[in-house]
Formats: sequence, structure tokens, C-alpha cells
Amino acid sequence: MTLETVELRKAFGGVVALDGASVAFQAGKVNALIGPNGSGKTTFFNCVTGMIRPDSGRTTYQGQEITRKPPHAIARAGVGRTFQLCRVFPRMTALDNVLAAVRPGGFPKGLRGARSRSDLDRARGWLTRLGIEHLADAEARAMSWGQQKLLELAGVLMAEPETILLDEPAGGVNPALLDRIGALVRELNAEGRTFVIVEHNMDLVMSISDHVVVFDRGRPIAAGPPSVIRTDERVLGAYLGV
Amino acid sequence: MPNVSRRWFPLGAVAVLAAAILAFPSLAPNPYILSSGVVVLNYAVLATSWNFVGGFTGYISLGHGALAGLGGYATGLLVTRADLPSFVALLVAALLVAALAVPLGLAALRVRGASFVIVSIALVLILLLVFQSWASLTGGSRGLVVPRPFPGLLRPEHHRVFFYLYAALLAVAVLTWWLLDRSRFGLGLKAIREDEDKAEALGTPTYAYKLIVFVLSAAFTALSGGLYALWFGDLDPVFQFSVLTGSYLVLMALLGGVRTLFGPLVGALIVGTALEYFKTEFGSTPLHLVATGVLLAVVVLVMPDGVLPAIAAGWRRLRPGEQSSIREMTAADLAEQRHRSRHDDRSGPQGDRPAAGETREEVHG
Repeated sequence: MTLETVELRKAFGGVVALDGASVAFQAGKVNALIGPNGSGKTTFFNCVTGMIRPDSGRTTYQGQEITRKPPHAIARAGVGRTFQLCRVFPRMTALDNVLAAVRPGGFPKGLRGARSRSDLDRARGWLTRLGIEHLADAEARAMSWGQQKLLELAGVLMAEPETILLDEPAGGVNPALLDRIGALVRELNAEGRTFVIVEHNMDLVMSISDHVVVFDRGRPIAAGPPSVIRTDERVLGAYLGV
Repeated sequence: MPNVSRRWFPLGAVAVLAAAILAFPSLAPNPYILSSGVVVLNYAVLATSWNFVGGFTGYISLGHGALAGLGGYATGLLVTRADLPSFVALLVAALLVAALAVPLGLAALRVRGASFVIVSIALVLILLLVFQSWASLTGGSRGLVVPRPFPGLLRPEHHRVFFYLYAALLAVAVLTWWLLDRSRFGLGLKAIREDEDKAEALGTPTYAYKLIVFVLSAAFTALSGGLYALWFGDLDPVFQFSVLTGSYLVLMALLGGVRTLFGPLVGALIVGTALEYFKTEFGSTPLHLVATGVLLAVVVLVMPDGVLPAIAAGWRRLRPGEQSSIREMTAADLAEQRHRSRHDDRSGPQGDRPAAGETREEVHG
């Protein structure tokens, strides 16, 4: 088991965003999390990664309790994430954006230069793999939306997470780039990384995921392989609108 | 070679700046100008210390005047009440202020943006009240007289010695900032400035980072404040715990450029000199504040990123051959680059027309 939640609950004032969500994702697979807008997917991500505290419930990662841990500790445990509205460091170069994900490693090591040979090679490697190596010295804010999304992913990968949470990777990107992101997710998954993807683009979800969890009103209503989910009555009613 | 000149130009500028600072006491026409030089260098150290927090993490503190005041009072009290030798008192005072900065930072760094600014102002106002009211310890509004460390020295010599002490402290502060700037720790701090939540999500322990750099900044600020106490010899809570001091530091750092090593220093040289000049011109009238305000407005309008970045941008414009940003790359350049890399790597299945078209689209989008 990789990432698992038990009865996560979170309310913002009178609005219940998560209503006892118990979810188990599959290790080594591409998991998808789908559901209507406002069904609690992003709140779920934020609770799992420590960005907001759930009112109750527990989260475990590889059997270890991570519920009350700060986000950086969860990141260091091996869970990387991207944000729904892609977030990069705007006034830093693409290269520095990626280098910022390097673990500094305590007092004396943290004072070492940020541009060591090996880190630079690794950072350039990720930029190259994502096809934005020619922008290494450009400031992130000068890059296009699609390029920024790739850059954000490069930064997350630099931290070498075993599990990667993607919040709407297809949001606002063109079809060619979408294909590239889909192919990349499959490649990285083949290399052993677990994915959890929140996505509205059903073509992408159905084509790249092994396991689909459907959210409605703050809790999962169905889970299973894409072929099963596609025909599930509850899912059709709540989400696919058929 | 352009690369060589790019590397040597900053070094040359630093050498000229250092030489100018070291030569200043010999060139100063009278002790008054020399004492103004000490005041300006004090500002330079304070602004550089402020920039450890402001420049790296983007947290704008108006409370650094109070940290300098604490350093000054701690030094003065350790000399007068504990009979410590002056410079031992200075170091102990800096350590005490650094220790005090831990709980202060733990409280203040929980909030961001405007809230942090307000908390930092509150720090100044609270300390002003404490140091004014606790007259039995601090002397209250009558002030605290700090004995001079070199009683035999004549006034011009006294200024000269302290000018060089400040220059040495400035060098240490600038060197420390430079070391952090190029380190992994520094990159984490800059990530906090850019997007704190994102930095946290990438694994940076942001709270601890902010606290460490705040304590470091407080220590340098306290050293500068303590040195001021030993030099000036008389402390008054109204001047030591003034929001105006913190505002000046912000002004200097912004004016010089907070993202650059020498920005606060250059800003302090400009603003500090202007402040001293306006004070002699307009005397004790509030007009010197008006003049300072006008100066700030002009610079913010003309060079919003600060003086040094503006100069650097101008320098780059003069040398068109060196430009290498994304904007100068046309879609045709990129397509050609793609084309070349496709020849190097023929395995990419979706590397043909769609990729080139998509690149063009991304550049314009």
C-alpha cells in the first residue's frame, strides 16, 4: 500500500469539503482521482500533503502516519506534488527552479554552493527530459503556461519522489503537449513511480490510469479500473452526466 | 572575451568601492564630514543586515531599528552595569539579541506579508515604551551615557577608528550575504521569497529557514547598533526605538536593489548621504523628511527594481551581443534548435511537425 487515508474530514465554515474520505491508492500504478467540481479533490490533495489540516481522520504513507506532519516533511518522505494553478518561482531561472528542490542536508552541507556539478547535471537532465533545456537560463515568469507546467514537473522530479500527485496536469495545455505529458507519466511510472492524478480530461484519465477513484460530495463513491468506472451507474449519474 | 569582462567588471567595481571607503577618512575635509561617514556606514551595515531577511525571504521588517536599539542598549548596559570591556560587551550583546531573536522570530514569522510588517512595527513601539518607562535600568528618557572605549583618543581619531571598525563589519556582513546567496540554503530562502507554499511543498523547511536567517540578521543588526552606542556614547529611546530607522533601511535596500549583494550598501550610501545633507541644509525642520520622501518617489518611479539592477540592465542594453533571455529567441530559432536536436536524436516518435508547431505556439502564448 502506498498512500492511504481513513475517514478524512474537513469543513470550511459550513461547507463540508471532505466528508469522511477513506481512499487507498495502489503502489506502482497510475491512480486517477476524478469527480465534479467542488467534490473535494483539491482539498483532499491539500490535506494529504499537509498544506491544510484535516478536522479529523488519518493519512498514512507506506504504513507511516503523516497526518499532522508539515508539508516539507511529507515531501521528504517521498511525496511530490504539483499545484492546480501551476506554481513556479517566477523571478528565478528555470535551472534555479529545479535546483531549489535539492535537499540541502543540514548545517554545514547547506552552506555549500547550490550549483555543484552533480546537481547541475541532474537539473539539466530533467529540463532536457521535459524538453525545456533551451530555457534553462530564462526566468520562469517569462515562460509560457505550458512551459511553466513542464518546469513545475521538472522541479518535483528533481526531489526524486516515489509518489507524485498531479493536480490537473492537462489544465490549459494544448493537445500536443497533453500527449507529451501523458507519455511522460507512463514512462515515469514504468520507472517505478506511483502517480495520483486529479484530472477532468476523461480521455487522458482513461488512457493513462490503472486505477480510478471517483469523488462526489467529499468522499469516494466508486473505485476500480477505467473500464469498470466508465460504465458504473453512480459515476455516470454524478459526473459523466449521462 | 565578453565572459571575462562580465566576471571582472563586478570585481573591479567592488575594488573601487572598497578603495573609496578605505580612503574616505584621509580625504574627509573635517571631523564633521568624517562623523557623517560613520553614520552612513552604520546605515550600510544595518541595510545589509536587514537584507538577510528582506532580500532573501521577502519579509519586509520595519522592526530592525529596534534590534539595533537593543544591541546598543545591551552593549551600553553591559559596559556601565556589568563593567565588561567595551568590545566584549559588544559581542555579548549581539549574542543576547540573537538569542532574543529566536522567540521574536518564532512569533513574528508565523504571519506573512502586511501582517508581518505590522508585527515588526509593534516590536518597535513596545520596546520604545519599555525602555522609556524602565528608567531605573535604562535611564529612561534622560538617556544612557556609554563611556568611550578609547578615552585618550581625540575626536577626529575616534571617528576614524570607528569608521574602519564599521568598514570591517560591513565587509563581514557582505561576505556572509554572498556566501548565503550562492548556497543551497540561500536558494531555499529565495524560493520562500518567490512562493513560500511551493517551497514548502518541494521539501524546504520554510519556518526553520526563516528563523535561522532572522536570527543571523538580528545578530549583525545588533553588532551595528552596539558599535553605534560605543561610538556615539549617548542613547535615547526615542531615537533607538524609532519606526523611522526601519523605514530608512527599507528605503535604502529597495533603492539599491534587494536582490543584489551590494544593493543595500549602495542604497545606504545614497540615502544616508542625502539624509545627512538634508539635515544640514534644512536643520531641525521636518523638511529633510519631505526631501527624503521626494527622493524615494523619484527612484521608485524611474528604477522600480533599484539602482543596481537598473544599471545592470543599461549595461546589457549597451552590449546587444550578450543577450540570452527567452524573449530574444524567435520561433524560427527554436524551430531550428528543435530541428538540430532531432537530427541528433532520431528516436523521438512525436518529435516531428507537431512538436515544432507547439513550440511556436508556446513562445507566442
